[in-house]
Amino acid sequence: MVVEPGEIHGLVGENGSGKSTLVKILSGYHTPDHGGWLTVDGEPIALPVRPAAMRRLGLSVVHQDLGLIDSFSVMENLRVALFGVRRFSRAIRWSRERELARSALAALGADIDPDVRVAELSIAQRAEVAIARALQYHERGRGLVMFDESTRALPLTARQHFHSLVRDFVALGGSVLLVSHQLEEVLEHTDRLTVLRDGRVVASGLSTNGLSEHELIRLMLGRELKRNSQRREATKRGAPPAAEIRGLTGGLVKDVNASVAIGEIVGVTGLLGSGFEEVPYLITGARRAAAGVARVGEQEFNLRDSSVRELLAAGVALVPERREREGLAFSESVLDNVTLPRLRARGGIGPRRRSWQRDEADRVVRELDIRPPDVHMPVKALSGGNQQKVLLGKWLYGRPKLLLLHEPTQGVDVGAREELERAIRGAAANGSGVILAGMDASELAGLCDRVLVMREGRIASELRGALSPERIIDAVYLEGRGGRAR
Amino acid sequence: MSLRVPQGEGGRASLRRLPTRGGLGSAAAKLSERYAIVGLWGVMIAVYSVLEPSTFDTSGTFQTIFGSQAALVFLSMAFLTTVIVGEFVDLSVASVLGLCATIVPVLAVLDHVNVALASVIAVAVGVCAGAINGFLVVYVGVNTIVVTLGMSTLLSGIALAIAHLSAVSGLSASFGQLALANVGGLPISFFYGLALALAFAYLLAFTPLGRHMQFVGANREVSRLAGVRVDLIRFGAFVAAGGLCGIGGVVVSAGLGGFDPTTSITYLLPTVSAVFLGTAVVRPGRFNPLGTLIALYFLATGILGLEELGLAGWISDVFYGAALVVAVTLTTLLRKRAAP
Repeated sequence: MVVEPGEIHGLVGENGSGKSTLVKILSGYHTPDHGGWLTVDGEPIALPVRPAAMRRLGLSVVHQDLGLIDSFSVMENLRVALFGVRRFSRAIRWSRERELARSALAALGADIDPDVRVAELSIAQRAEVAIARALQYHERGRGLVMFDESTRALPLTARQHFHSLVRDFVALGGSVLLVSHQLEEVLEHTDRLTVLRDGRVVASGLSTNGLSEHELIRLMLGRELKRNSQRREATKRGAPPAAEIRGLTGGLVKDVNASVAIGEIVGVTGLLGSGFEEVPYLITGARRAAAGVARVGEQEFNLRDSSVRELLAAGVALVPERREREGLAFSESVLDNVTLPRLRARGGIGPRRRSWQRDEADRVVRELDIRPPDVHMPVKALSGGNQQKVLLGKWLYGRPKLLLLHEPTQGVDVGAREELERAIRGAAANGSGVILAGMDASELAGLCDRVLVMREGRIASELRGALSPERIIDAVYLEGRGGRAR
Repeated sequence: MSLRVPQGEGGRASLRRLPTRGGLGSAAAKLSERYAIVGLWGVMIAVYSVLEPSTFDTSGTFQTIFGSQAALVFLSMAFLTTVIVGEFVDLSVASVLGLCATIVPVLAVLDHVNVALASVIAVAVGVCAGAINGFLVVYVGVNTIVVTLGMSTLLSGIALAIAHLSAVSGLSASFGQLALANVGGLPISFFYGLALALAFAYLLAFTPLGRHMQFVGANREVSRLAGVRVDLIRFGAFVAAGGLCGIGGVVVSAGLGGFDPTTSITYLLPTVSAVFLGTAVVRPGRFNPLGTLIALYFLATGILGLEELGLAGWISDVFYGAALVVAVTLTTLLRKRAAP
C-alpha cells in the first residue's frame, strides 16, 4: 500500500477488517509480526515504530476519541511529551510552550486560547486542538497524518472546516490517511483509497474519481449489499400507544411531549446540544429528569423520582451510545452480557440457569449474526459492530414495551448496520414502541415512521409521511435559521 | 512520501488473533495453566520432603499447614468480597479482625461478660466497621484505599487501647473447642474456612446475586442501567466483609485462647498475597475464592518448609512480599493476554 505525497488517502473496510489495527501498527501501539516493512519518504523505519522515529519522520495520528485530557489546558495537551525545559532548573519554559502552542493553533487558523482547559472547548475546537497537535512537528511538505475515525465526533458544520484544514495540509505536499466508516465522506474528500477485507488489502490506490458508493460497498463486503430500501409497511392506524411522555424536562431538554404507538419507530434528532441526545437517558431514568411523566402500558411514572429498576421492570429498555462505558461489561462473556438484565427474574441455579442463558445467547448470536459465534468469548475480543449487536441483543431479548436507542449504529460498518437495522425493525414488529435518537439522517429516514426534530431543548417540528435524508437534514439545519417553528 | 505496510502471512496473523478452541492439546494446555500452582505445590512438597524427610514429611506438618490458616481464610474471603465488586482495595480487614478478636477476650475475661454474648458483640462491631467503610466509600464517594487505610490504623489503635497495650488471654478451653475441636485429625476451623470458600464460590458462580456482584465489579454503569442495585451491592460487600472479619475474629480468639492486638496488622500482607495469587488458579485472570484458598495453603506450605529448613523469622516477610509482587505481575499479564 502506497500513500503518495500531497494526497488524501482513504482507508475503508468493514468493522474487524483491520483498519484500526493497521493504524495502531503504524503508530507503534502494536508490534507487527515479522516480514513486513515500512518506509517513510523513502527511508526505512524499524518496526515496531518508536515515538522518536515518528516525530523525526513526521508520522502522526489523530485517534477516534481525539485523545485529549479534559482537565488540562490546551497548551498542555498540545505540548505534552514535547516540553522544552530551562537549562538549569529543568523547569518547563511555559512562555515558550505557550508561544509554540499558539503558533501551532494559528497555523490552522484556529482562534483558541492556549490557557483554556480543554473541558471548556466546543467539540469543533477540540478537533482543532487534536489536529494541531498532530501537525505541530511536521515540516512543510513532508510526513503523514492518520485520522482514525476522527470526524465521527464532529458535527456536520465542523466537518467542513476539518476537511478544509486537511486540504491545506496536503496542498503543501504532506500526506493524509483518512480512516472512516462514512463512505460518502471518504468518496468526497479523498483522492485515492485502499480497501481492507479480513485483514488483507483487496484494492489499493483506487482512484475515487467516478467511484460510486455501491462499488465501494461491494469491494468492502465482497458482495453486493441490497440496501434496505423497502420501507416497513406503515404502522397500522390507531395502534394503541406503547408509551407516552409528558412534560419531560431535565438537562438541555425542556418540556418535551411525545407518544409512541406499539410497532412504531419514532426518531428524535437535532443539532448536538439541542437536547435530543439526552431524551433516551431521561426517559429510562439513567439520568434524573427535573420533571416529566412517562406512561408505559398501564403504569405511570413520575420521572423525577423513578429509578432505572422500576422503569426496566415496566419494560423500558435503553441502548446507550457509549458501548464501553454504559453498554457492556467488556471483560465478561457474550453470554453473561446478553442475559444480565434477566438474571434476577429468571434466576435458576447452576446448570438450570446456564441452560436458559445458553439458549438466549445462542439465539442472539444466531439472529444477529454475531461473529465469531462463540458465546463464551469476552465482549472486548469482538469487533465494534459485533459488540453493538451483542448490546442490542441484550435488550431485545427482554421484549421491551418501549425501546430507546441512542445512535445504535454509530461507528459500525455497512454489513453490521444492515443486521442492526433489521433487528430494530423486528423489535417494532414484535410489539415494541421504539424511540431512536440519532444524527444519521439516512438511518432515520430508513427506519422511522416519523421524526421529531428538536431545537433548544424543545420539539421544533415533526416530520411525517415520506421521509428522506434530505428532508430531515433540511429540518435540522435549515429551519432553525428562519425563526422557530413553535 | 511513500509508505509500505506489512503484507502477506505475517501481517495477517497479527490482525486476526482469534482464540482456537477444541482439540486435546488446547484443553490440556488450559488445564495446566489453570492448575499450574497446584502442580508447583506438589513439586514444592516433594522437594521439602527430600530435603528434610524427618520433619517435613510428617502428618504434623500437614496439620500445621491446614490447621493454622483459619484467620487468613476468613480475611482473604472478606478481602475478596469487596475486590469482586470492584473496590480497590479494602486495607482495613486485618485490623477489623484484630479488633473483633480482641473484643472477645477483653469482654469475657476482663469484664466477665458471657463469652457467647461477647462473640455476638464482636461480630456486630465487625459489621459496623464494614458499614462505616461502605457508607464512606459508596454513599459519600471517598477513595477506598484512603478510607480503609485510615480505618485500619484507627481500629488497631482502639484494639490496643481496650486491651491496655498487651495480649489478653484466658478464654476457657470449652470456648476453644469452637475452633479446635478435632474433626478427622484437623481442627474444625479448617472446615469453617473450606465451607466458607465453597459457599462463596457457589454464590458467585451460581446465584443471580453472585453474577450481579461480578458485573458490578466489571462495569458499574452497565450494571446500573441493567437494573442492578449497584450501590446496595457495593455497600453490602463492605458489610459482609466486616461480618466475615468479625466471625473470623471470634474463631481466632477461640483458637488462641485470647489475642494480641499488636499482631493484627501482620495478617494483612498474607491475605492480599493469597487473593492476588489466587487469580492464577482455577479461573485465570479473575479473583476467585477457590483459587484464593489454594493459593493460601500453597503459600503456607512454602513458608513452613523454609522455616523448617532453618530460615526462621524474616522468611515469611520475604516470601509473602515476593509472592504478592509475583502474583500481581501474573494477574496483569493474564489480563493482558485475555484482551486481544
